[in-house]
Amino acid sequence: MPRPETRMVTLSIDGREVTAPENVMLVDGAKYGDVEIPVFCYEPKLGAPVGACRMCLVEIEGIPKLQTACSTPVKDGMVVHTQTARVHAAQEAIVEFLLINHPLDCPVCDKGGECPLQDISFGWGGGRSRFIEPKRHFQKPLALSPLIAIDRERCILCYRCVRFSQEIAEDYQLVLQERAAHTFVATFDGHPYVAPFSGNIIELCPVGALTSQPYRFRARPWDIEGSGSVCTLCPAQCNVNFTVRDERVLRVLARDHAEVDDGWLCDKGRFAYQAVHVDERITRPMIRDGGELRPVSWERALEHAASALGRAQARVGAIAGGETTNEEGFLLQRLVREVLLSNDVDSRAGGSLSLDLHRALGAPAAQATVSDLEFADAVLVLDCEPVDDAPILDLRIRKGVRRRRVELAVATSRPSSLDPNARLRVRFAPGCAEAFLLALEAAIGTAAGEPRREEVARLAQAAGADAGAVHALADLLTTSGDDVVVLWGERVTGGERGEYAGRALLNVAGRLGLRDRDGAGLLCVPAGTNGRGLAEAGVLPNAGPGLSEVEEAGRDAAGIAAAVAAGDLVALYLLHTDPLRDLPNRGAWEAALDRASLVVAHAAFLTEGIRAHADVVFPAESYAEKEGTVTHPDGRLQRLRPAIGHQGETRAEWQVLAELARRLGRDLGVHTGPMATDQLVAAVPFYAGITLDELGGKGLRWPAREAASAFPAPATAGPFELEPPAPAPAPNGRLRLGTFRSIWAAPEVEVSPALKFLHPRQRAELSPADAQRLKLFPGDRVTVGSDGHSVSAIVALRDGAPEGTVFLETAIPEDSASLLEGPLVEVRKA
Amino acid sequence: MPWNPGDDVISVQRGPRPGGAGGAYRAFGETLRGLKTTFARVLEGPITIQYPEEKVPVYPRFRGRHRLHRFEDTGLEKCVGCSLCAAACPADCIRVVAAENTPELRVSAGERYAAVYEINLSRCIFCGYCEVACPFDAITMGNDYEMSDYNRSDLIFTKEMLLAEPFDRAPLRAEGE
Repeated sequence: MPRPETRMVTLSIDGREVTAPENVMLVDGAKYGDVEIPVFCYEPKLGAPVGACRMCLVEIEGIPKLQTACSTPVKDGMVVHTQTARVHAAQEAIVEFLLINHPLDCPVCDKGGECPLQDISFGWGGGRSRFIEPKRHFQKPLALSPLIAIDRERCILCYRCVRFSQEIAEDYQLVLQERAAHTFVATFDGHPYVAPFSGNIIELCPVGALTSQPYRFRARPWDIEGSGSVCTLCPAQCNVNFTVRDERVLRVLARDHAEVDDGWLCDKGRFAYQAVHVDERITRPMIRDGGELRPVSWERALEHAASALGRAQARVGAIAGGETTNEEGFLLQRLVREVLLSNDVDSRAGGSLSLDLHRALGAPAAQATVSDLEFADAVLVLDCEPVDDAPILDLRIRKGVRRRRVELAVATSRPSSLDPNARLRVRFAPGCAEAFLLALEAAIGTAAGEPRREEVARLAQAAGADAGAVHALADLLTTSGDDVVVLWGERVTGGERGEYAGRALLNVAGRLGLRDRDGAGLLCVPAGTNGRGLAEAGVLPNAGPGLSEVEEAGRDAAGIAAAVAAGDLVALYLLHTDPLRDLPNRGAWEAALDRASLVVAHAAFLTEGIRAHADVVFPAESYAEKEGTVTHPDGRLQRLRPAIGHQGETRAEWQVLAELARRLGRDLGVHTGPMATDQLVAAVPFYAGITLDELGGKGLRWPAREAASAFPAPATAGPFELEPPAPAPAPNGRLRLGTFRSIWAAPEVEVSPALKFLHPRQRAELSPADAQRLKLFPGDRVTVGSDGHSVSAIVALRDGAPEGTVFLETAIPEDSASLLEGPLVEVRKA
Repeated sequence: MPWNPGDDVISVQRGPRPGGAGGAYRAFGETLRGLKTTFARVLEGPITIQYPEEKVPVYPRFRGRHRLHRFEDTGLEKCVGCSLCAAACPADCIRVVAAENTPELRVSAGERYAAVYEINLSRCIFCGYCEVACPFDAITMGNDYEMSDYNRSDLIFTKEMLLAEPFDRAPLRAEGE
């Protein structure tokens, strides 16, 4: 679906000639002529206007009554008056009406100073009230949820929050109760409004009715400074604005970027900033001394780490976590490759892919952008759960389906929160994306008339999927239009068969003609925030900066774990990662960490792996302190800017890496953050010429620049000849194990006082049929075990879950699914 | 050698030449005229006020050191920590950090109260904008003008100091005085 072309129309507003795009609402059109029309209920992000507040009344020639400018599209030749006596009288009256029940407690209201109702009353109101009757009263303040306070007296019933809940987040929790003057915003039966995106209503509210609990009474608008940066808590990399007072981050607001986040934030992004200022945070370097980590001076920690790393020369393995910036990753691989003379550096959790496949999957030609999700003809969500993996993409897909009638298909193992919006849902066994993609490719061939129906049936069975559903999916993708976007999770290319799954994905993309087509393509949701940037900066065992060839490929993450456990490697360098949390196969990592003679970690929190095994801990910067760049999954380089000074004794990571290199006898030539950026840009051919100034506040997509032609072309981009994979294991009374990482499974959530209550405990998601067979009920405690390992979990039922499968969480401190070795597990009542 | 701009550029105005009767009058006559005032005041006696033993009464609207107020009946602080005084302050010398009242700890009458209220008197210009800005008449300018101290940091007045009853050090001028 091509993006609609905008035609400009000319109209007259207050005697000025204004040129505005056709079909925008008058309120927006007026801005093109610098005319402001006051609004409360209108918010373009919320979709169709409702015209509820009547604040935007204007006079349009030829229409006898005043019209709401928020719901009247501009037309050629329209003559509008916003300054006539009639309009003024109407606006004054509306302000007076809105204020009759408003308590005017501005001095104690958190919105005071940044309140549209204040501004509009001041600018367009009459400045007097004739209302002497009692105002309506509610109990206040009430907690709408642990994160949001509601003050119903202040509410002017603009419906913004309710529309957000109903039409944007589609969690359908907020409703308006009662009628007319008695109306109030509430949830059903007073349940707390807990949803992944609930915090957005705080920013939407044009009065102080919905305020943030963690920000409550912390500061007033004139006490604070705003500082734009990027949230690095998930791969969506939303643009945020930190509210800073006295060198403390007090709030996070969205910084609207239509190509990244569309102006929304998830609650993790909005509230996990608290982790910057908690006592649990590590702010001093530490060394293991007598079995315990003790704070020491930087000098001692650096000296200790440098001398021990020097002794371990060439036998060091390094892992970079997802929150690592491009510069830090680049410097890490320089440290490991040039100084420590080791090749064992990795940033991918799921195992390594061939360099050719990295190049083929990352090629600019096959790259879709975030906004393509909204304008595509069809979107296929493949083996990822946007609301957990990159929450803001969930809202974008919902928007596409709701407003642009995008055909959505969900092909995952685990039921998705997008299922109700999808035209088609296909389930396959966990880890069987390869077989599923082969089946899909064959089904697309069948749709094109090739006689491959039997092949589809065979492959679909191997994938544990329904062949009919695969055919239906192929039909949907081939008939809905040319612009198909495949949003695929890195999980697809994880595991031993990841390489082949990646090739199968490229085959499907080739079949659908996604390459070299604007508005269509592949969009990967990496496992780590900056997965794409780290790969491009060279933090891969088999690729240098710019996905260049390396002389000798090193070990990947799993290989490093095995080599350390076997004694081939003696030291581990962990940059922003705790393998016990973030990486699969916890058993192997526990063995490796036990055996390693040196573990150097950059960490912000003492998670279990760091607490038990790290020998040197450098305090890691938080994302509010960082300087550098990250790369969005669609190739957009975005700039992190420090909002606050370093807390405690924290130092910048680039500084620590450069200092370690210096102490090991090699000057990396990095003395400031931007020098690291310059080195990175010089080393990655397709970033060539990018400067921090050019990135600015909105970032820059490198695939859209000329230098993108320097991207190394893959030897073959498909189609590949692929062997059929081994079929999914038959459950035989046991259950297939699927894993997922919840949006709330992050150490930042665990330590944030406001978000703590959302930090997940292990739960076993089962289909109702399996639960009935095993005589389990929701809330039951079960033990899920395989091969001697077991975890304890609480049963949760999910309607769309495929039969014969159990889903468990990873990345949680206790009972993480990474303890279990699949593919089959036994579920027993505890 | 000084630069000579030429006669046509600068015309120097000179006074009357010294010497003669006119010169003598200018030397002594004007001086005596001034001394006449001096000797006339000597006859009136001294009007010096022996500060600090004696103090000049101030006018009721004199803007001296600030005071924070409590409600007389409940004893709760009038200040709700809205920070409007800090916003109005042109010298940026007020710092307010608000907190929420709880049923166990009720400090002010509203939902919030000032957990920290500090005025840096070494920066204050005593303009009285804070008093004007305050929606609850919680802060007023008092009469006290004796604020000198040995230490700059002692001039940062905290909430407790501002709430405390001041010693009546500066007498107030009576009505019509």
